[in-house]
Amino acid sequence: MNGFSPATHLILAILGPLVGAAVAWGMAPRGIHAVRQSALVTALVTLGIVGLLVLRGLADPVLTGGGAFAVSSVPWLTDGPFAVRLSLGLDGLSLWMFGLSALLTLTAVLVSWKAIQDKPAAFYMLLLVLEAAMLGVFAARDVILFYVCFEFTLVPLFFLIGIWGHDDRRRAAVKFFLYTLAGSVLSFVGLVTIVIWNASHSGVLTFDIAELTAGVRAHPLPMDAAGGWLQWLVFLALLAGFAVKVPIVPFHTWLPLAHVEAPTGGSVDLAGVLLKLGIYGFLRFSLPMLPEASAVAAPWLFALGAVGIVYGALVALVQTDLKRLVAYSSVSHMGYIVMGLFALEPAAVEGASLQLVNHGLSAAGLFALVGMLYERFHTRSIASLGGVAARAPWLTVMFVLFTFSSIGLPGLNGFTGEFLILCGAFQRAWTGVSPAWQATYLTLAAAAVGGLVLGAWYMLWAVERVFFGAPRRPPQDGDGHPAEHAVAVAAGPHHHDPVAHGPAHHGPAPAADLEWHEWAALAPLALFALWIGLQPGAFLGPSAAAVRGATAQAAAAFTAGMQPPTTAPHTVTANLTGGRQR
Amino acid sequence: MPPNLPATLLVLVPLLPLLAGLVTIVFGRRLGPRVHMPAVIGIGAATGAALLLLVAAGGTGGGTHEAPRPAETTVTLWQWATIDRAIDPQPGSPAALPGIAVGSTDSGTRPLSLAVTLRLDPLTATMLLVITSIGLLVAIYSIGYMHDDPDQPRFFALVSMFVFSMAMLVASSSFLLVYVFWEAVGACSYLLIGFWFRRPEAARAAKKAFLVNRVGDFGLAIAVFLLWLTYGTLDFHDVRATDGTILPGILGQTRLADAGGFVGGTVGTLICLCLLLAASGKSAQVPLHVWLPDAMEGPTPASALIHAATMVTAGVYLVARCAPLFVVSPGALAVVSLVGATTALVAALIGTVQTDLKRVLAYSTISQLGYMFASLGTGTLAGFTAAIFHLVTHACFKALLFLGAGSVMHAMGGVIDMRRFGGLRAVMPITAATFFVGSLALAGVPPFAGFFSKDEILAALHARGWPDAHGGVHHDHEPAAGAPAAVRTARLVPSTAAPVVPAAWRSTAPAATPQAVGPLDWLAGAGLYRGLFWMSLITAGLTAFYTFRAVFMTFTGPLRLPPEAAHAHGGHGPDDAHGTHGHGQRGHESHGHASAPNAHGHTAAAVDAAASHESPPVMTRPLVILAGASLVIGWLLFATHGLGGFLAATPSLTAPAVVATRVPPAFHLDLAIQGTLAAAIGIALAAIGHLGRRSDAPSLERFLGPLQTLFARRFFFDEIEHAVVVRPLESLAWFAALVDRVVIDGLVDAVARVPAALGDIVRRGQAGVLQRYSLAGVAGVLAVLLALAWQLWQ
Repeated sequence: MNGFSPATHLILAILGPLVGAAVAWGMAPRGIHAVRQSALVTALVTLGIVGLLVLRGLADPVLTGGGAFAVSSVPWLTDGPFAVRLSLGLDGLSLWMFGLSALLTLTAVLVSWKAIQDKPAAFYMLLLVLEAAMLGVFAARDVILFYVCFEFTLVPLFFLIGIWGHDDRRRAAVKFFLYTLAGSVLSFVGLVTIVIWNASHSGVLTFDIAELTAGVRAHPLPMDAAGGWLQWLVFLALLAGFAVKVPIVPFHTWLPLAHVEAPTGGSVDLAGVLLKLGIYGFLRFSLPMLPEASAVAAPWLFALGAVGIVYGALVALVQTDLKRLVAYSSVSHMGYIVMGLFALEPAAVEGASLQLVNHGLSAAGLFALVGMLYERFHTRSIASLGGVAARAPWLTVMFVLFTFSSIGLPGLNGFTGEFLILCGAFQRAWTGVSPAWQATYLTLAAAAVGGLVLGAWYMLWAVERVFFGAPRRPPQDGDGHPAEHAVAVAAGPHHHDPVAHGPAHHGPAPAADLEWHEWAALAPLALFALWIGLQPGAFLGPSAAAVRGATAQAAAAFTAGMQPPTTAPHTVTANLTGGRQR
Repeated sequence: MPPNLPATLLVLVPLLPLLAGLVTIVFGRRLGPRVHMPAVIGIGAATGAALLLLVAAGGTGGGTHEAPRPAETTVTLWQWATIDRAIDPQPGSPAALPGIAVGSTDSGTRPLSLAVTLRLDPLTATMLLVITSIGLLVAIYSIGYMHDDPDQPRFFALVSMFVFSMAMLVASSSFLLVYVFWEAVGACSYLLIGFWFRRPEAARAAKKAFLVNRVGDFGLAIAVFLLWLTYGTLDFHDVRATDGTILPGILGQTRLADAGGFVGGTVGTLICLCLLLAASGKSAQVPLHVWLPDAMEGPTPASALIHAATMVTAGVYLVARCAPLFVVSPGALAVVSLVGATTALVAALIGTVQTDLKRVLAYSTISQLGYMFASLGTGTLAGFTAAIFHLVTHACFKALLFLGAGSVMHAMGGVIDMRRFGGLRAVMPITAATFFVGSLALAGVPPFAGFFSKDEILAALHARGWPDAHGGVHHDHEPAAGAPAAVRTARLVPSTAAPVVPAAWRSTAPAATPQAVGPLDWLAGAGLYRGLFWMSLITAGLTAFYTFRAVFMTFTGPLRLPPEAAHAHGGHGPDDAHGTHGHGQRGHESHGHASAPNAHGHTAAAVDAAASHESPPVMTRPLVILAGASLVIGWLLFATHGLGGFLAATPSLTAPAVVATRVPPAFHLDLAIQGTLAAAIGIALAAIGHLGRRSDAPSLERFLGPLQTLFARRFFFDEIEHAVVVRPLESLAWFAALVDRVVIDGLVDAVARVPAALGDIVRRGQAGVLQRYSLAGVAGVLAVLLALAWQLWQ
């Protein structure tokens, strides 16, 4: 029975990529083909294991009811009262992101298929280690394990950017590493403070997230002058790490740089999963453990989210580098998620949690496509590209599809999350805030809707310039050096380092249109984009209870802070799912 | 008809084009010369289903004098998403209609229940038939028109997907779905305008269309959110919960029967204005009309289907569907009329000086849509039905005119500038004759279709401007069968007490529940509607003028053909493959005058005359069918009053406040004479200027002076909007990018240098930037942790 329990299944899923990483490393002497095939097999097998686990989770009423699934816990660092355990498990908050991490790793392997010719063994090893870290962070039920994985995602990505990136990769890697590290170190301080506070009140030194949550609910961190505003300080400490990670404007400037310099595979994981860790942190720690402080901060974060939407979109509007444009679009779209989360309304928080997955799919797809364009034309400059549709029709179809997903066209996934987020945001603005805040909230919510117009503007502008019109330059078959050089000069100082060459132009020239590995990378993303767009309920349902549970305390605190406490806690209403019409 | 048949047919109407589109996408080029088959068969079958639905939707209404019963059928396909306990309606708000919605078992919270539900009612059935039948004719016509295009699969797939989306839009029974397909038709339109994406103008026009529509969608999104917050649901129809309670839909019969069920005042006006913004975007009303003329870059059949007959009428449909929401906000209604009449006049003025045949028609479309809005804004039953009536007739004759223009363009080798050809009736008799019929219909000449529908619109406006002349509302003494008592009292408002504007038009509510006064209600005086009536009458004259100006320039006068006409085989864009099919292609080549400049005039034309030809039957037959429809449909629908009576059973139009405005159908001879006179003057002026003359000869425009520039430059709308909206936003974007680079990132870099500087002092010469930072960081963390632990542990 225990032979293949969900818990074992989960551990297998995390260990799989680590084994695969070692195998990929060991394949180094046997050439690039063996390396990338082994990486592909690992990614596929892991995705299979994760996929089955997700299906098992969906079938488990405990998970859909808001509880944890596939829980295991073994002592790790135990010494006296100090008991760090390797606690793993999945719940509604983490289930989809866990699955997405495995899916996007497959995408990352496939988009690197030809792009990475230099030191492939190290590249794929790091990619698979990164996968293990991403899976670990979503499966962790222990603060220390969470934090270790949280930070450990930085290391592979640091090297991926620093070694396989483009011309300015060193600066980008260091900035990315230090900026996010600086933030998350403060988060660690905050997390440890929670642990110590809990220990000082319950007498048990525990690092278990569930126990901590229960503990601080029983003994909330003080939110007044007498208590030294401890809850508020801890919230700010957590915020420092999570806000950089998301990133919330104005802590976003590492992101465009990191994306532009990162290899495509790294960008896919960065945009698809790593940005979500910040939001996941809010959902896992800030909102449930520090509800009062979250409630106080909610209006400000709601506002920062709305500002980020408009600001990111405006900056995206004037970008000349396609990858930078997509990176700023990520800043804008993460603004919706922040806004939805801190609207603290049922529709908005469920929409935000769905939008984590949605943005992961569409941003990963767009970054993958930008990488494919780069492999073909050796430039990301929007001005130098043009008329790609005539040469690569299917690539264009996929780009337009992911553009539609990104700009929230109904029927695709982007719409579902943003609609619910905005619905909840308006609801909060309309009925849920004190009159003093109402005008501000309404303006912010309307501005967020305006972001839909701006989002369409920059994306469709880019599509028009890159894909439509007359072809602007001849195809760079074979050696792309002249073009590459021109771009490099335009982009900044050219490094004369032995490893300082863009990886793309060393590979064999790709076919004009999508190749099999590119199809394989994009098709699953496109299918999920369509599926979520048509049936978001199937994806919302399993996580609804957990997301509600995580935010309920903060929402109640917010309501209490906004008006005299009148409304009673909600009771269950009739479920209309099977409603019949006349 | 078996009970389940209407529901099945209702699903089939959108489903068949969807399947056709998918088949075309999947099999694409493998279909070879039969690539149009899925679209034609799918849309054709959908047309058949829509015809049957027309019968099914009728319900028990019918007679012109008996009050109609609301007739609707809904089918729920699947649950899109459900957010439990999403809203807690405030007691007494419309979201919590007391005693109906909020059962005793819950505390009043409502789920956000988003289902994919289709509905059938007379309005939907009418729209479905228009969409599918015009779609079918356009698809057939495209077989000829697109014959030589290498991207035919993409074209037919997009047309099928459009018909699917548009059918879903009008069959949707919730505001969410309306939003979904509102954007979906926009996406189809984007892809079809940009169909010849290699042309930069087409790509730019596509983007512009999408973005301007997005501005409208902004309004729709906000309207949807406000509706959700106000009414606690997004469904049109009532939903019966499992425990038997009824959740009243926004346009459901429960709410319609409740005289106080709709919110007026500031919120109501705001919702209506947001809906109007959305409708203005889709239906190209001022100031969001700027995308439609540019949209003519798309293939002409797509223009005919999307940008003339169907998609652009979605705004009219939306306002008509939301009639109960609008009638409680008279101010918003007045704005609808004002926007409509202004658009009608402005677009007609611009149309008078256009030289591109398709653009004349595009401005004419904008203008006619303006008529429909003006009519909707009257807020009377007659106004709503007249708008839909005009929608139907306009779809016929405007599709005809566009397809005719396409036929001309097809023969002229892609040239559509009227100054470069003339006298085409000699070479294209069928196109010329059918275009003439369409023009008579558009100009409103009796007994063609446009005359009757325009007459009803003028009558509706006249009735609001001079209510006493039409006897106010006191003709209607018959209470709606089955309507609650409250409604009867609401509808028996004495007309004597309201000499200028009947009370029923000021507010839906009976005296017992006074409605809040909206912020714009002062607009809705009779004076406004009098002004709008005169504007509409002038527009009628202008319409006749520009239509016949185009007819005379294109089809009369000496025969002149552009050199491109010799190569006319479906080549419309520079990138189009030149034709390989028959029709004497080889003969054309032998003329060898490709470089002949336009000024060759008669000699070149004489050579070309033999070469040019009428379009193939597959293109002319749809023209003939549409011409026949344009001839009879107005008279038919008017004489029987079939459409008005049929539409009156639409649930939205059975709202008490709408029913209260019922007047017996009548033919207004005085208005008919005025309208016909206006048309006659317009045609006469056009004849003076252009009949029998060379189309590039100087004409009436020279008498306009500076106005000519104003009209030709389209009232500078594009320039003004660019300067007022686009430029400032772009400047702001540049500024934001600058701030991002210099201020925000600069600060980050500055902060990052602090530990480096400290590190330099502390451990000079230590190699490895990263290690240094990390060490400093770790040391700092440890210090903070120790301090905290110490403090807490005490």
